Amino acid sequence: MLEIKNLHVEVEGEGTEILKGVNLTINKGEIHAIMGPNGSGKSTLAKIVAGHPEYEVTKGDIIYNGESILELDPDERSHAGLFLAFQYPVEVPGVTNNTLLRESYNTIAASRGREELDPLEFDDYIREKLELVDMKADFLERSVNTGFSGGEKKRNEIFQMAVLEPALALLDETDSGLDIDALRIVADGINKLHHEENSVVLITHYQRLLNYIIPDHVHVMIGGKVVKSGGKELALELEEKGYDWLESLATVNGEAK
Amino acid sequence: MAHPTRIEPSILHKLAKHLPENGSARWTNVRQKSMQQLNSTQFPHKKIEEWRFTDLRPISRTEFTHINDAGTYKASDIEKYFIPESDRSRLVFINGRYNETYSSIGGLGKGVTVGNLSRFPDDENVLEYLNNLVNYDDVFTLFNGLMFEDGAYIHLKEGAKAEAPIQVLNLYTGSEKPFIANPRMLVVAEEDSDVTIIEDHIGLEENSYMTIPVSEVKVKQRAHIHHVRIQRDNENAFHISRPIAYVEKNSEYHSYTITLGAKLTRNEPRVVQEDEEVDFTLDGLVLIDGEQVADTHSVMDHRFSHANSHQLHKVVVNGKAHSIFNGKIFVRRDAQKIDSFQENRNLLLSYDGLVNAKPQLEIFADDVLCSHGATVGQLDPEEVFYLQSRGMTEEKAKEVLTYAFALETIENVKVDSVHKLLIDEVYRYTKANSNPKVTA
Repeated sequence: MLEIKNLHVEVEGEGTEILKGVNLTINKGEIHAIMGPNGSGKSTLAKIVAGHPEYEVTKGDIIYNGESILELDPDERSHAGLFLAFQYPVEVPGVTNNTLLRESYNTIAASRGREELDPLEFDDYIREKLELVDMKADFLERSVNTGFSGGEKKRNEIFQMAVLEPALALLDETDSGLDIDALRIVADGINKLHHEENSVVLITHYQRLLNYIIPDHVHVMIGGKVVKSGGKELALELEEKGYDWLESLATVNGEAK
Repeated sequence: MAHPTRIEPSILHKLAKHLPENGSARWTNVRQKSMQQLNSTQFPHKKIEEWRFTDLRPISRTEFTHINDAGTYKASDIEKYFIPESDRSRLVFINGRYNETYSSIGGLGKGVTVGNLSRFPDDENVLEYLNNLVNYDDVFTLFNGLMFEDGAYIHLKEGAKAEAPIQVLNLYTGSEKPFIANPRMLVVAEEDSDVTIIEDHIGLEENSYMTIPVSEVKVKQRAHIHHVRIQRDNENAFHISRPIAYVEKNSEYHSYTITLGAKLTRNEPRVVQEDEEVDFTLDGLVLIDGEQVADTHSVMDHRFSHANSHQLHKVVVNGKAHSIFNGKIFVRRDAQKIDSFQENRNLLLSYDGLVNAKPQLEIFADDVLCSHGATVGQLDPEEVFYLQSRGMTEEKAKEVLTYAFALETIENVKVDSVHKLLIDEVYRYTKANSNPKVTA
């Protein structure tokens, strides 16, 4: 479904290389977890897949469903079924959740050949999805993320994912800033949304989230590269040993970290 | 009456020879006083601090003609500007002159007097307040005092609540030659009264004209006024407005000014506190494009203790347009316990747009809370990316964000059809401007 090949990325115009040859393959129906210390390039990887304009790919490719998506705008990637849950969701005062989601849903539906929903149909559709993240209906009439608590913002991201039904969702530190109850709600939501036709990539610092969502594969990023991949037991090993024992792997072949 | 001798520039001098003959002794008195002051008043220029950023040469170089000689066209198809809520509470002025045919009054209930000023020559409030509330001493206000021919008069008796919003519709017709209109408005709200006023200025064609609306508002004890001012002059027009309000004990005055039109706008709203425990708003929204210049110089004068004041002034600039904001907040020495909020936010959509922002706080009391801020920025790329990642095109994302930016200032407009009309205007602007033009 998604194949990242030897991906090198710089901050646009700055020349600082953040990703230094990332290789990653994600198949349909899989859950992957990407872990790693701060500054290892995890969030950059998620943003670049979603098409963030701040970054520039200098080498390598991102293949989605057999085709390179490097030339696609963020909205076109979203139409193709990609979704990024933001680490810091953006506040959009003046635009209600309902308006944003109906607009998004219908744009994506139109581009994927699904039927668009009128406001009444959409209302029915969206109310079911609210339950998934345990949110009240008045939430829909609030401006997107405006004045939301940290936890509400994260739940709103998962709520959007529920409404838009992406084929591949990248969740960037969706667990950070959540208390234990909110974490359980968010994790339950993700588990309910995941099925054999879609894939989920969890980007996280902590093993905690993986108690609730069991990944098929765990990858460790350090210094802009994937230095180790394994099964779900790798996360436990990291929890126990930290990242230090993997640091040396980031300099293999004499390359700088 | 003797003709003025030193009005600058000469074109105003020439026009001042056509003094209107109508009105009462009181009006003659206003004209005489205005003329006297005009004789010793300089035409503003950029070396004066208050006019530093605004070039008035487009006005001083225009050959204005007296309205009787300007070859004005008939106003037609104007019903579309009537708001349904004011079906029986509408005053229509065409080029500053009252139009009885289109006006419709009488639907306001007991204790509310609405009409044109020349129908009330000896009304005690007119005698007491007309031209006595203005504290502007510039050429434009004085010129209006000299040349005005009529105006809107709104009076509410003690305890009277207007049953419908009052629409004061100022229309400017097409013409062969540029002319000057001098609309006036006097509003006196006695104790415990309540009224909503929708003041609208609309240019019907694309001709050049200048309008100098002067309005005086007196809000007596415990009275409430909700005042919406919409400026939709055409893009060749000059709009120089002077609205001033005096607020008495426990009264409220909330004003919202939406500036969309005119080639050059100079708006100088002022609120003067006359006693303790008042609450007032002076919000503004400016949406400009092309080569428009919109200048707001406001004054919120806190003279007594216990006032809440609010000023949110939002501006969107595209093309080569230029916005100027100078918001003065005075807190006099004995005016304690003031809670004053001022924020000026500017959104620049183009490379060639220009914004001058100058908040100005002069506080002489020590127990006050005054927050203020001025920001100039572009759309946040992170916000654009967020919306794009949810499926919106870049163009649509920018449109939505601009729309959302502007919307905040009009959400307190409480007349439904006007609120909707403003949303449509904001939408029309953002739609037309979502693709910033790169000008060479």
